[in-house]
Amino acid sequence: MPLYDEIPFPRPQRVMCVTPDDALAGLLRDLWPAGQIELLRFAKGRAAIDNLFNDPPDLLLVDSALADMPGLELVALVKSENVYRQLPVIYAVGPGELDGGAAWAEAEIDELIVRPISPSEIRARILLTLARASRSLDSNPLSKLPGNTSIIHRIQELIDRKEDFALAYCDLDHFKSFNDRYGFSRGDEALMMAARVIVNTIRTVGGAQAFVGHVGGDDFVFILPASLVEEACKRVVAAFDSIVPNFYDPADRKRGYIQSTDREGNMRTFPLMAVSIAVVFNTGGRLKHYGEASQIAMTLKKKAKENPKSCYVLDRRQNAAPAPGA
Amino acid sequence: MVDDLRTERKGKLLEVKDLPTLPKVLDEVAKLVEKADVTMDQVADLISTDQVLTAKVLKMVNSPIYGFPGRISSISHALMLLGFNVLRGIIVSTSVFEVMTENMVGLWEHSLGCALATSAVAKHLDLPDPEEYSVAGLLHDIGKVVATVQLPDLKKDIENLVKERDVYYLDAEKELLGFGHDRINVWLADHWKLPPNIKEALGYHHKPQLARLYPDMAHAVHLGDFLVRAFEYGSGGDDNVTYLRPETLKHFKLKPADMEKILDHLSGQFVEIADLDFS
Repeated sequence: MPLYDEIPFPRPQRVMCVTPDDALAGLLRDLWPAGQIELLRFAKGRAAIDNLFNDPPDLLLVDSALADMPGLELVALVKSENVYRQLPVIYAVGPGELDGGAAWAEAEIDELIVRPISPSEIRARILLTLARASRSLDSNPLSKLPGNTSIIHRIQELIDRKEDFALAYCDLDHFKSFNDRYGFSRGDEALMMAARVIVNTIRTVGGAQAFVGHVGGDDFVFILPASLVEEACKRVVAAFDSIVPNFYDPADRKRGYIQSTDREGNMRTFPLMAVSIAVVFNTGGRLKHYGEASQIAMTLKKKAKENPKSCYVLDRRQNAAPAPGA
Repeated sequence: MVDDLRTERKGKLLEVKDLPTLPKVLDEVAKLVEKADVTMDQVADLISTDQVLTAKVLKMVNSPIYGFPGRISSISHALMLLGFNVLRGIIVSTSVFEVMTENMVGLWEHSLGCALATSAVAKHLDLPDPEEYSVAGLLHDIGKVVATVQLPDLKKDIENLVKERDVYYLDAEKELLGFGHDRINVWLADHWKLPPNIKEALGYHHKPQLARLYPDMAHAVHLGDFLVRAFEYGSGGDDNVTYLRPETLKHFKLKPADMEKILDHLSGQFVEIADLDFS
C-alpha cells in the first residue's frame, strides 16, 4: 500500500518550506508523488520573502531556527499584511522548544509541528491545514455561509459537468435604508435572519443537493434542481415577509414604513424590506461560463426590483424554465 | 441578609440547565419530526401546546449565536429560522419529569388553556399577531415550572401554605420565596433574551395596569388567565378563580356582550382540547 493517496484538492497545492534542515526538506519532498504537491524550498528567510510576496503559495512552512532571522519574524511579516494574512502557516520547532514560553501563540500561526515528527503525521497536518484554510478563506464572516470563491467554483463545476440546475440570486430591497435608519448591527440582524430563512427553506425543499452561498452584504445565492426552484422561491418569499416586521421598532412596524434619507440626502419614506429573487436555468448545457449566469441574473434582477414587494422572476428565455405547476 | 437570600435563589433559578417537560407531547413531537411529509406548521401547532418546548425553542432562536436576540416571539417563525436539524437536537436533549405529579399536569393544562384564552381575546379585539399572544399566554407561568425544578422543597411549602391558609399562590410565593413567579418570569425572559413584548406579558400578567411598553399583551394574558380558571380547565396552583382587574376591561373597552362572545368562542375551543391529555 502506498504511503500517499490522491490529495483532495482541485489543483496541485504549492507549499513553500523555509528551513535550513535538509532532512526536513527531503522528508517533505517524498511525502507526495510529483505533480500533487509543488514544493518550493528556501534555506534562509530573506531569500523567501520576495517570492512569498510576489507569488504567494497555498501553504507556508517556517522553521523556528533560520540562519538570518527568527522564524516568527517571517511569520509576523506575512500575517501583518491583510492581503497575505489568509495564507496558512505551519511553524516547525525542535524538541523542548515549547518549554521556553509561548511567543509562538502570539504570532498568527495556524499549525505547529514538533520534532521528531513522523512522515505520516506531518503529511496529515499539511492536508488538514490546507483543508481548513480552503474553508475559512471563503466563508462569509457574518453568516459563515460559503463565499464568492466557493459559489463560483460550484457553479462552474456544474456547468462543466453539463448538469441541469437552477441558480437563484436573492437580495433585499430597502436594506440600505433599513441600515441607515437603525444602524449596522440591526442591519446584520436582518442579514442573519435572511440567511437562516434561505438555508432552511432550501434544505427543506432540496435536501442534500442544495447549495446556499453568501456573496456579501445583502446578496445571497442558492442552487437547486430546476424542478424545485419555484417552490423554494415561494417559500423564501413567504417566510421572509412574515418574519421581517419583527426587525423593526414597534412604531415603524405599525406604520408599515420607515423614514430615512435617500442617496441624494432627501428625507423619504421606505417600505419594509422585501426579498427579490432572480432565477437562471442551465438546461441542455446552455451556459458555458459562470459569467453568463451572473449576467443573465443581473438583468432579471432589475425586473424583479421593479416590484416593490417580495417577488421572484424566472428566466423564461429559450423555454429554459419549466412551466408553472409542471 | 434578605437580599443575599434573594440573590442566591435568583442564581439558583437561572442556573436551570435541563428543563424537563411532560412525556406526552414530547413523544408526539419526536414522532412527528421523523415523518417524511411533515410540515413546519404541523410541528409548530404541536409545540405550541407545551410550555417547556415552546420556551426552549424561543430561547434557542433568540440566543446571540443566531444573531438576532430578542426578535422572535412566534413558534412558526422560530421553526423557520432554526430548521429541522436544530429542532431535532432540542427534542432529543429534552428530558421528562421523573415523577409526574397531578399538580404538574394541572399546570400544563392551565398554560395551554391560558394560551387559547389569551389568543381568543386577541382575536376578538383584532390585535395584530395573535400567535404571539398565544405564546405569552402559554408561558405566563413558566416561572412556576422553573421553581419546581430548581427549588423543589420551597415549591412544596408553597403548595401547603395555599392549602392551609387558603391564600393565593402568588401571595404564598411572596411569603416563602420573597418574590412571585412573575418576578421569576422577568429574570428568565432577560436571561433567555426573549422579546420585550413576551417579557412584559410574563412580568405583568398579575398587574397589567403597570405595563408600560406592551399593555395590550399584559392585559390580554391577565384576562386569559382569569378566563381559563373560570372554565376550570387545569390548575396553576390556585383553587379559586383569581381576581380580574377592572383596569383590564377598561383598557380594552370590553362590555358584557364582548365577554359573552369570547366565552362562547372559547367553550368551543375547550371542547376541542378536552381529549388532549398530558398525563
